[in-house]
Amino acid sequence: MTAAKKRLTLKILLFLIFTDLVETFAQFCFKKSASGAGLLRVDDLQGALFFIQSVIPSPFLWLGFICVLVIFITWVTILSKVDLSVAVPVASFSYITVPLVSAIFLHERISGLRWSGIGFILLGVILVSASTQGQKERV
Amino acid sequence: MKEHILFIIGLIALTDLSDTISQLILKSSINALDWHIHSLQKALRLVWQLLQSARIWLGFLLSGFSLLIWLFVLSRTDLNLAFSLDSMRYIMIAFASVVFLKEKVGPARWMGIFCVVAGILMVAVS
Repeated sequence: MTAAKKRLTLKILLFLIFTDLVETFAQFCFKKSASGAGLLRVDDLQGALFFIQSVIPSPFLWLGFICVLVIFITWVTILSKVDLSVAVPVASFSYITVPLVSAIFLHERISGLRWSGIGFILLGVILVSASTQGQKERV
Repeated sequence: MKEHILFIIGLIALTDLSDTISQLILKSSINALDWHIHSLQKALRLVWQLLQSARIWLGFLLSGFSLLIWLFVLSRTDLNLAFSLDSMRYIMIAFASVVFLKEKVGPARWMGIFCVVAGILMVAVS
């Protein structure tokens, strides 16, 4: 049995950011497929089935599923190296990357409150990462 | 047509709960195998190994269920509200990791998790 470090290394952090980018794209695809289905009344089983039926032909749904497969492989790798209570909060990085990307490429304005939010998330990610630095090797 | 806010909160709680259980199943299965991943090939082998256990498929079923509810929520509310409420998943995951996976979550990690949740709420409402 090999010893795996539970410490969050730069490599794992980069893996998490990559997973986030794919995840963001997947969310975009799912949103596209859901809004394409329109506002459906899902009050009963029949309504739910009709909703599923109208979502399934959307190519965005399937593109989203391919992303999910890629995410699963990278996510399993990450979870084999760090705690779940570390991987999940650090994965919230996409809440920082998405507004920054929209600001840089789409020239969207970032409000003061949003900057503060980005700051808080960054602080949270740093704290969670720091909490792993003292962890011993898992044997 | 806007749904009742409590109905939406309940649905998002259900999504996050099923997702949390699914993550617990995945992480505990990975812990049980305890592999050291150093290559893509090894990662794929671990994925393959995981796919052969029945409980992983139960996890997928829960994830699928979670996704269906999430799609439904997204078709009914705006993204800002949905994403704000969805941040409760971080708290659920942290508690579940302590209780079921025996992970040690110290004060720094708790503070970090609360900062992340506070930050997401700020980003979502701004």
